[in-house]
Amino acid sequence: MDKLIVSPSPHLHTKTSTKSLMRDVVIALLPAVVVSVLFYGWNELLVLGVSVASCVLLEFLITKYLLKGACTIGDWSAVITGILLALNLPATTPWWVVFIGAVVAIGVAKMTFGGLGQNLFNPAIAGRVFLLISFPTYMTDWTKPAGFVGNALADGYSGATPLGLVKEGGIDAVAGLDYSDMLFYNIGGSAGELSAIALLAGFAYLLARKVIRPYITCSIIATVAVFSGIFWAIDPATYTDPVFNILTGGLLLGSIFMATDYVTSPMSNWGGVVYGIGIGVITMLIRYFGAYPEGVSFAILIMNSVVPLINKVFHAKKYGR
Amino acid sequence: MLKTFSIGGIHPSDKKISKDCKIEVLPVPSKVYISVAQHLGAPATPIVKAGDKVLAGQVIAEPAGFISAYVHSSVSGTVKSVGPRKDLAGNNVIHIEIDVEGDDWAEGIDLSDDIVTEIPEDNKAILEKIKLNGVVGLGGATFPTHVKLCPPPGKKADCLILNGAECEPYLTSDNRIMLERSKEIVVGAAIMKQVLGGCPAVIGIEENKPEAIKAMSEAVAELKKTAKGYDGISVMPLKKKYPQGGEKQLIDAVMKRQVKSMGLPIDVGAVVQNVATSLAVYEAVQKNMPLVTNVLTVTGDCLPMEKQHNYKFRIGMPLSYIAEYAGGVPQEAAKIISGGPMMGKAIANMDATTVKGSSSLLYLTAEQTVRGVESACIRCGKCSEACPMGLEPFLLQKYARNGMMEELEENAIQDCIECGCCLYSCPANIPLLDIIRIAKGDVIKIIRTRK
Repeated sequence: MDKLIVSPSPHLHTKTSTKSLMRDVVIALLPAVVVSVLFYGWNELLVLGVSVASCVLLEFLITKYLLKGACTIGDWSAVITGILLALNLPATTPWWVVFIGAVVAIGVAKMTFGGLGQNLFNPAIAGRVFLLISFPTYMTDWTKPAGFVGNALADGYSGATPLGLVKEGGIDAVAGLDYSDMLFYNIGGSAGELSAIALLAGFAYLLARKVIRPYITCSIIATVAVFSGIFWAIDPATYTDPVFNILTGGLLLGSIFMATDYVTSPMSNWGGVVYGIGIGVITMLIRYFGAYPEGVSFAILIMNSVVPLINKVFHAKKYGR
Repeated sequence: MLKTFSIGGIHPSDKKISKDCKIEVLPVPSKVYISVAQHLGAPATPIVKAGDKVLAGQVIAEPAGFISAYVHSSVSGTVKSVGPRKDLAGNNVIHIEIDVEGDDWAEGIDLSDDIVTEIPEDNKAILEKIKLNGVVGLGGATFPTHVKLCPPPGKKADCLILNGAECEPYLTSDNRIMLERSKEIVVGAAIMKQVLGGCPAVIGIEENKPEAIKAMSEAVAELKKTAKGYDGISVMPLKKKYPQGGEKQLIDAVMKRQVKSMGLPIDVGAVVQNVATSLAVYEAVQKNMPLVTNVLTVTGDCLPMEKQHNYKFRIGMPLSYIAEYAGGVPQEAAKIISGGPMMGKAIANMDATTVKGSSSLLYLTAEQTVRGVESACIRCGKCSEACPMGLEPFLLQKYARNGMMEELEENAIQDCIECGCCLYSCPANIPLLDIIRIAKGDVIKIIRTRK
């Protein structure tokens, strides 16, 4: 003890840091990553690799040479964007399309707004939606490449997602589909919508580590369940049922990992509930009545833009007021 | 389900390393320096001068206003000087320097260990004794106790809450007095409750101190059987959560009532006193003993078990003297805290002396206490989730950095209790409370001038 440190209280600090929080999200994503690689094989590894590497590299280059500020790749947030973008794409996406997605996600959606903490839209979703609109052929080609396990898709569903089939052929097109296939891995779709169990395991981990609060995710899922439940109860011959809607179309991936993104979601619990209801309703409107088979990405993007407003209206409950 | 406060709160480390160390009495040093500003409010006015002979327990400074307190000599000897000296933060405060000679106490003070359980009937006389013996709140704010025990006209106490939460990590002095002086604390509670008009008294203790809960419950049960005036006193175990011992939080936990913004506890019928204050009230009323001693914890992770202590000290002892007596300041100590690690003050000057409210010498290592580098706010909302007042620290710091006074007031910055939960929780190491504390002072000034 040569010199005493003198500074204002508190004198202790939590061990949780931005870095540790982000690392926890990566850990929570691992089950979904493992399932997608097992099921889609080398193609998926390539998409994941290109996506993560380009996101990290782009953030490094932009912070160093364009913004000339502190390099932020050490906080793991670019890794998360990379993984999420990859999990949102078909495993057959060409590498250069993946790269363009990363440019939009990191370069446009994140860094032009000022980097982590400043972006209005979730970077991975912005990247995905850009690709969906710009390269629809690549983005809706759900042909299953050879994976390491489960070489056949559930009979007759190769080349399309369940929601895509419904959009084209009506509800009868998925009549033979088993929910257990969706729970584990046997449906067509982007890597991240393969396995509900893997995503839910990640959700449980995030809650246990107190990385996220459950309000947003639960609010989205409950809204989708109620909305589709009402339509399905009225006309089960036309509308898909609630369980189907929850297990398909990236709803779990979106509601667990992307709608809960700190930066682009409301701060208060009630704000989160309202935000979740908005995402759930817009998703179902697009699925039932819109041009696209699924709507989670659009719904999250639209609700992202309303977050500043939600934050203005909903505040935490104050003591004694 | 154990009770606790309803909004926010955090769970910092649960360390109470020195909780089993019995209270030891520190020997009197050859010199003491007694500060005249040991309480909230106006500093007391010295009434002795260099050369005067004083006895232990004799008044050496008188209150200088309604919110002020008597200060007594903690030793017998000769006044050497009266003048400015640096306190632990390094600010100049008038101190009375006394050369110690023997250990003679002023007349009328009962120095025996006998516990007096019979409560005097005259409330006016009780309040006078509490005032004359310089009793102030020992939970941290050092507010003069007699003032708090006289509710303003039209207001009535519905409940006296004794604060035995000791929610700060590391501190164990309240735990020790609850174990070793349980009966005296209960007598103090009965006295205060009688003064307040006979309202119930609840002793709130966090669940991580099961021995204290047991000792206090037994003391209450026994006194109820053997003496008059102890009905309506009970012990309430509380969930462990920081800042349980915050006055507003404790009222919420125990009474399910919330004090309005800028209001006082008595507005909702609550009077909160620390258990150490209750002990001081007992000493003052039953033994005529002024507040010249208290208990402090010497602790820290970098101290071996045999150097962890709970000491009964006299006011005016130099901190360096106590540290030396306890075995010296450890090499690893980078910061020394007076008080808990969440709300205590970092000591800038070890030559400063103990005051009535001193509660610890806590040694923290650099690894424990040095803050990380600030990075961008990721809007995780953890500060808001942690704030026990339901404020939004991320928003307040943003407004504060931009000098937006109206927005700060609208968002209730004046309600901040400076508990440190926000800064503790922030994963981006943003100095939330540092910024909020300064802006809060400015906003409160604006509110006051408006009135």
